Amino acid sequence: MRAEELKGHLDAVLLAALEGGPRHGYAVIEALRQSTGGRLDLPTGTIYPALRRLEQAGLIAGTWSVVGGRRRREYRLTPAGVQALSGRRAAWRDFSAVVTAALEDKVCPSPSPA
Amino acid sequence: MPESEPGLIRGYLEVLAGQLPGPIVEELADGLTQTHRSYLARGLSPDAAAEAAVTEFGSAEEILAGFARVHPARRAARRLLGLGPVVGGCWVAALATSRAWPGPAPARVVLGLLLVSCIGLLAVAALGRRYRVAFYSGIAGCVGFAALDASLIVGVLVVAGVASWVTAVAVAVSSARIAFCARVAVVSQQNT
Repeated sequence: MRAEELKGHLDAVLLAALEGGPRHGYAVIEALRQSTGGRLDLPTGTIYPALRRLEQAGLIAGTWSVVGGRRRREYRLTPAGVQALSGRRAAWRDFSAVVTAALEDKVCPSPSPA
Repeated sequence: MPESEPGLIRGYLEVLAGQLPGPIVEELADGLTQTHRSYLARGLSPDAAAEAAVTEFGSAEEILAGFARVHPARRAARRLLGLGPVVGGCWVAALATSRAWPGPAPARVVLGLLLVSCIGLLAVAALGRRYRVAFYSGIAGCVGFAALDASLIVGVLVVAGVASWVTAVAVAVSSARIAFCARVAVVSQQNT
């Protein structure tokens, strides 16, 4: 899957990658690769501006540490980020159910409670 | 940057360092180094690993454009451009109803030129693909708009001495814009 196809969902995917605990940029990319079986083909460098945008929005918080003589920035979800992730997940489940029902000619299940 | 880093990675980071603030470059350097190491661990030569790491990272232009898109000054420029007609409309209504155009004709020409310059600067900040361009033009546009708003407020309230509810609305809207511009200048400075 290419980056363009992920448009609109990148924020939720990045928030989900941080749900398990604090991670730095490269670890976020590795986590996404692992969770998607390597099917997410994002230019690694594009993750960093997206993380910065999420930080500016108050959904994640970054802190610096020093590892092997090099400064490293780690990110963790803020309470607002946890809430946003939950909302994005519910919205995605509904969206996915509707599109799947439409594509496969099935009856769409009732929307999940907010 | 360690001397052991291949020239390709060093050159790549130098291009980024020419546009981006130090902390962002440090973070990117850390990620790029880890990507490089992961390719070395897979058995690639240092140069081949550097090439693979840079390819995986994406072009420097792409990264610079990505950071320019999230710069606070760029988002502020878009908001100011979007809200500009509202503020302008308030002042047109205030000046038309009070018949108190601030200052003599040359002063009005200067205000007009300032307005056009601010719009141009903010348009550059809103559409540009370069981080520093977004910062400098966005900040210049904000400062210009704050100066324009302050001139209008002083011109109408102090020089012309006009007080009506329409003028009060225009002054309130302009004051809010001055406060917004000041906040953008502070936040942008912290991000640059």
